[in-house]
Amino acid sequence: MIEVRDLTKTFQSGDTTVSAVRNVSFSVPEGKFVSIIGKSGSGKSTLLSLLGALDRPSKGSINIAGHDIAALGDRSLVDYRRKKIGFVFQSYNLIPNLTALENVMLPMSFNGLPSGSRLRRATELLDQVGITSDKQQRKPGKLSGGEQQRVAIARALANRPALILADEPTGNLDTETGKKIFDLLHKLSREQKTTIIVVTHDLSIAGRTDESFRLQDGKLVKAK
Amino acid sequence: MNTFTLGLRNAFRNAVRSISIMFILGLSIGLCLVMLIADQAVKQKINDVKSAVGTTITIAPAGFNSFSDANNALTTSSVDKVKSLAHITNLAEVLADRLTTIGAAQPSFSRFGGDANTNAQTSLTSPVTLNTNGDNNGGIGSRIFVNGGGSLPANFSLPVPIVGTTDPTKLNSNDAILKSGAMLDGAKDSNDAMISTAMASKNNLGVGSTFTAYGQTLQVVGLFDTGNQGANSTVVVSLATLQRLTGQTGDITSAVATVDTLDNLSAATTAVKNMLGSSADVQSAQEEANNAVQPLENVASISLISLMGAVIAGGVIILLTMVMIVRERRREIGILKAIGASNSRVVLQFMSEALTLTVAGALIGVVIGVAGGNPVTNMLVSSSTTASLSSTAQTSSGGARFAGGGRFFGTRSVTGNFLQRSGNGLLNSASNVTTNIGWSILAYGLAASLLIAAIGSSFAGWMIARVKPYEVMRAE
Repeated sequence: MIEVRDLTKTFQSGDTTVSAVRNVSFSVPEGKFVSIIGKSGSGKSTLLSLLGALDRPSKGSINIAGHDIAALGDRSLVDYRRKKIGFVFQSYNLIPNLTALENVMLPMSFNGLPSGSRLRRATELLDQVGITSDKQQRKPGKLSGGEQQRVAIARALANRPALILADEPTGNLDTETGKKIFDLLHKLSREQKTTIIVVTHDLSIAGRTDESFRLQDGKLVKAK
Repeated sequence: MNTFTLGLRNAFRNAVRSISIMFILGLSIGLCLVMLIADQAVKQKINDVKSAVGTTITIAPAGFNSFSDANNALTTSSVDKVKSLAHITNLAEVLADRLTTIGAAQPSFSRFGGDANTNAQTSLTSPVTLNTNGDNNGGIGSRIFVNGGGSLPANFSLPVPIVGTTDPTKLNSNDAILKSGAMLDGAKDSNDAMISTAMASKNNLGVGSTFTAYGQTLQVVGLFDTGNQGANSTVVVSLATLQRLTGQTGDITSAVATVDTLDNLSAATTAVKNMLGSSADVQSAQEEANNAVQPLENVASISLISLMGAVIAGGVIILLTMVMIVRERRREIGILKAIGASNSRVVLQFMSEALTLTVAGALIGVVIGVAGGNPVTNMLVSSSTTASLSSTAQTSSGGARFAGGGRFFGTRSVTGNFLQRSGNGLLNSASNVTTNIGWSILAYGLAASLLIAAIGSSFAGWMIARVKPYEVMRAE
């Protein structure tokens, strides 16, 4: 269960204080597939970075599995990101000089998993997301956008996170590929009971998630 | 894949840039090693020279000046008092003069502190020959000028130095190694003499042969060799003998006192100076050594400063490189942190990348260091000692110089030339620096690369720690 209460994030831009997220409260049951929609600059990515412990809120609490991550220290936040969160980015953000397999193994090495176990799990995950064994040894530059995003999803699943945060995962893909990636995320959500929060401005995607929220000028309203 | 492997692979991400950086670092580390080799070799030589000069004190007439015929004389009675001082174990006194070869074209000589001794002739011919072509003749370490640009006479022969000494085993700073016959008794007034094997060969003499000097017949009792051309052209007799032959009873031109230990050298030198006062110039071997190794001290300072400079330069190169790399890969650092890498893990990864670059640079640097260590050291030492030799020659150039139709300036020049040669010998010895390139150089190269990597990646590490993981979201 994810429970967000009165979450606020303000930035100082010169003499002006900008509120990217304003008193946002919502809760997501475990294993649900949730979308957050909104226009550019509405605060979607800021909200996602707060949920993923990439940034600290100015006010409010984020309760995940009974722990308030807003109150965690730096070291605990690193642990939280490593063990509980998986990220999928719009531009994939794979490490360019590592192969697909090595990219998936990387978060597991941060978690101290032995190399044999890392290799087995990474291979299994890449098979699961549809990256064939010949492509597993390729570097990201030699893979298509859809394939790179599949590798990114496999990397996000590597440490069996409780929550996957996806920021515009289909934003850089054509409609057909985007649909396949969305289906993949949906399937993983159902099969692995992983909570997935997707930020998107694609209403057709939002319409297919379990729940949908709209973020407007930093304020959240339930859309579905 | 562990952090170090990742860092190692990242170092070769941009091959052209990495190789360029490695070569620049290689030059820097190579310069470090060259300077280290020079520093070690020069310091070793300084220690060798200082320990080799022994515990002697040289006593010369006060205000000694090669250009002047009038100088203060030392006397046996004044110098003998030195023997009574504490820690003085031996005192060797020397009287030097010069002989002209009978029948040879030579300038006239004046004796130490007096008029020319017309009797200072010998049947011996110097074993040292001169190039008689032109007006710029190479001699024993000196240039000879002939007035009017003429050439030397065909029957020209160099004067033959003669030394009366209480210690025939030493000839200036050279050991006289007995080759045949017997060692001369320095305390005995007799017509016995020692000559070098070169002099004997030149004059067809052997042990038991006789020759004339000062109108008297001297007998060769021993043949020696010093390994030095100048010293080998010298006739050695006892001090009392030369004082008698030259009519300079009680006069000496220099003395060498030996001190029991190096620890007492300084105190004994002060005591000798106090005892002889203004009548003599007193210099310890250590002071001579210090003067001789002064150019090497300069080289050591230069090499040490250059060594530090090269390490700093290497550090700055890798620092700027790593800063550039961190700026370029800011987003990647954000990704690593977002997917669970700790600050220390990312810093370690970049440090291993810096280390890979510097170790590769160190390998190139070791090659440069090994190849350049010896020539650069020799060049530094040579340029430094040449300047010093030139300076010494300018201040005491009267020793072997013709002037006014080929007249030598007095016998004093003999002693002057001896002292100059002795000093220059020490300087020449000090300039023969041998570099030693061993495994320690590899170890130093590695240590330098670790130091450079640590310096270079420290600021990069600080920059990495400041990268916030949310920056990866902002870049989206």
